[in-house]
Amino acid sequence: MLRVILIRLAVFVPTLLATSLVLFITVNVVPGSAARAALGIDATPQAIARFEAEQGLDRPLHVQYLDWLWGALRGDFGTSFQNHLPVGRELLARLPVTLELAALAFIIANLIALPFGALAAYHHQRRVDTGMSFLATVMGSVPNFWLATLLILILSLKLRVLPAGGYVALREDPARNLSLMLMPAISLGVVSSALLFRIMRAKMIEVLSSDYIRTALAKGAATGVVLWRHALRNGLITFLTVGAVEFGWLFGGVVIIEDIFLLPGVGQLVLVGIINRDYPVLLASALTVTVVVLTANMLVDLLAALLDPRHVHVRALR
Amino acid sequence: MSDDYAGRQGDRLKRGEMFRLIETFERGGMSRREFLRRSMALGFSIAATQSLFGVAERAAAAVGAPKRGGVLKAAFSADPAGFDPVRGPSGMSHVVIEQVYSTLMALDPDAKPYPELAESYTVSDDGLAYTFKLRRGVKFHHGDELTADDVKFTFDRLRAPNSGYSYGAQVETIKSVDVVDRYTARFRLSKRTGPFLIYMAFPGSSIVPKKLVESGHDLNAKPIGTGPFRFVSYEPRTAIKFVRNADYFEKGKPYFDSMEYRIISDITALTNALLSGVVNFSNEVPPKDFTKVRAHPDLAGLTLEGSRYHWLLLNTKREPFNDRRIRQAVSFALDRQALVEGAFFGLGTAILGGVIPKWNWAYADLRFVPPRGDPDQARKLLSEAGYPNGFRTTMSVASSFPNLMAMAPIIQANLARVGINAKIGTMEIPRYWDEVWSTSNFDITSMYWLSPLADPDDFVTNNYKCGMPINVQKYCSTEMDTLLDQAKSAATQEARRELYRKMQELSLRDMAQVPLVNGWLLIGHTKKLRNYRPMRTGFLKTLKDAWLE
Repeated sequence: MLRVILIRLAVFVPTLLATSLVLFITVNVVPGSAARAALGIDATPQAIARFEAEQGLDRPLHVQYLDWLWGALRGDFGTSFQNHLPVGRELLARLPVTLELAALAFIIANLIALPFGALAAYHHQRRVDTGMSFLATVMGSVPNFWLATLLILILSLKLRVLPAGGYVALREDPARNLSLMLMPAISLGVVSSALLFRIMRAKMIEVLSSDYIRTALAKGAATGVVLWRHALRNGLITFLTVGAVEFGWLFGGVVIIEDIFLLPGVGQLVLVGIINRDYPVLLASALTVTVVVLTANMLVDLLAALLDPRHVHVRALR
Repeated sequence: MSDDYAGRQGDRLKRGEMFRLIETFERGGMSRREFLRRSMALGFSIAATQSLFGVAERAAAAVGAPKRGGVLKAAFSADPAGFDPVRGPSGMSHVVIEQVYSTLMALDPDAKPYPELAESYTVSDDGLAYTFKLRRGVKFHHGDELTADDVKFTFDRLRAPNSGYSYGAQVETIKSVDVVDRYTARFRLSKRTGPFLIYMAFPGSSIVPKKLVESGHDLNAKPIGTGPFRFVSYEPRTAIKFVRNADYFEKGKPYFDSMEYRIISDITALTNALLSGVVNFSNEVPPKDFTKVRAHPDLAGLTLEGSRYHWLLLNTKREPFNDRRIRQAVSFALDRQALVEGAFFGLGTAILGGVIPKWNWAYADLRFVPPRGDPDQARKLLSEAGYPNGFRTTMSVASSFPNLMAMAPIIQANLARVGINAKIGTMEIPRYWDEVWSTSNFDITSMYWLSPLADPDDFVTNNYKCGMPINVQKYCSTEMDTLLDQAKSAATQEARRELYRKMQELSLRDMAQVPLVNGWLLIGHTKKLRNYRPMRTGFLKTLKDAWLE
């Protein structure tokens, strides 16, 4: 068990470093200078020179990267080119928002995908299954921001049952917080539930037709028990691994959703960083996303190892 | 195109004009007689207009007495870039600065300067000395009284060599600022400066507390001024919060308990926030959503012509745009009425002559092109210039400006009908600044620019003077430069007006840039907001006079 954790951690740091390097290079290669993006139409050559000197953008690239890395290791991510405020602080304040959104979306996605996936597998090759699969294809193909706009149109502007956007902290006003998170979480969750549904369904079909299930049924075990105890548990393992990828995808998908629903999360920071060529903001927020995704993957691997004795056993044998 | 279609287009423009008239009258901005006269000029019958009186007058009567209390929540799309007047160059910074600080002079809604921190002022005959007598007992938010020392400190700071002040042109004619006594400050100028009082009303000229700044306080993070509202907090990309300044020198004002400026970068989300009540004020309503805002039962929609220019820039250093006849041909080819209809939904003024707008004292009633353009004249000019069959060219547009993007295909079609085939290329704004704008690497490009000042010098100098950073079309004319300098420093407003007339005539002959549309200010706010008068400059100083029912 310990070995699994250590291996995972050993991969963590180099992945992070590699990601930061790729991001840094990309950001500097992409056309559009940070100075002009920050100064806009008021950019005179003197103003640009002044800006670049202040922000250290006139130094060679490797110096800039190493300087940034050294600061990042100590938790100093620099200041935003737009508002000259420390990025780290802003990032920390925004992290809970995105985590809550991704978590809620993940829960909604699973709440839809798990039962329906199992149900579809159980009624495999019957109309119920075909119908649900079709619906899943449709729901998985729509863009999440389209769904978001539709929800706002109906629920906020027409029916006036939910607020159109904004954020209030969970500990301040849980009821309002959830009412504001509901539509964004649904937009993200429904679309990603489609993929989870299909994986769940496929896995369950495979499990349901396996030998040990047939044995259990032959022994006279009730179908319900078989489904819930044996099939689901085994299906869940593979499912969780995909789920981690899905969570990573969700965390990245928040970018547009946060912008639409006015949620002050990390995704909005990534978007703003790109549009404004605000390098410190972009690097810090993109790396945060990386960290979260890697952590989620790591946790799921550990969980999978816990759930499946074979996993751990095989590793221990090596 | 059938006559019926043209008639309907005209109707829509008339309706837009009518909206404005009704609003102005409701606000008390014109007399009954004027309203009647102008409505009839638009073609409405006496009976129809008189029936509108009842509506307008009932609305005016309902205004009543001011009420203290409430929170004004305004929506904006951009983040500020600091709150120190010497540093904040962005428009959004100014909108915050004007609430927290005060200036020697201020502008009324029609952009006329009046004394604010100054009780009175005198100007020497040669125009080289301005003496301001300050109000007494004006307190900064931290308690110190404002004196002439603070005024001198403020302007010395703006003029300092490494100040980084982006509007150095406004203070370059100030030779010195002297403290005559505790409440009197004298400015000595190196030459006559026509727009001087307007400069004194600019947010960058806000008076800062000398002792506080000298002791190391960072105004950029926590602004302290003498304005109607105190700065409370700034959550980046989210909101700026203010609270009423209980010791504001205009007794009884402001009326709101507090204000919040919410930052909503997605323009559709901004409209939704206004429509669903998340915010109750915005002056950035996109033209496409204005009718929706106006039709909302709880919201009122206002329009106002300011100085928001959209123009086409033709690179005068490239063939064939180095020939003024070609440039004029482009101007004649354009159907500006279609641009107003198509891109601005009728909520703009086609610029058919000089760029100085009608509401400004330097307006010259010059008509160079008809509203629908004159393709025949365009073709004639093209032939004269040696391009009887037109030519191929490119048009670069920045994709982040929705109005410019909306106009691009219309402009392309207009040019095509006279034989100019312009291929449109778009790119996102940071790339655009780098690859097109700053290097003047374009044949045709378009830009949107608004003037934060209300003086005609600001409307024209930046674009027409040789070597100015925004003059990316590289237009250079000593005659134009001379006219601009003379107009800025002429002795009387009459003299200035005459010079701006000449300057505008020259601008049309040379057609350095092709003016397109002056997009109106579009404001949406809750009907509970009373006595809000929008400003031509697009600023929000008048919020201190407004209240919520």
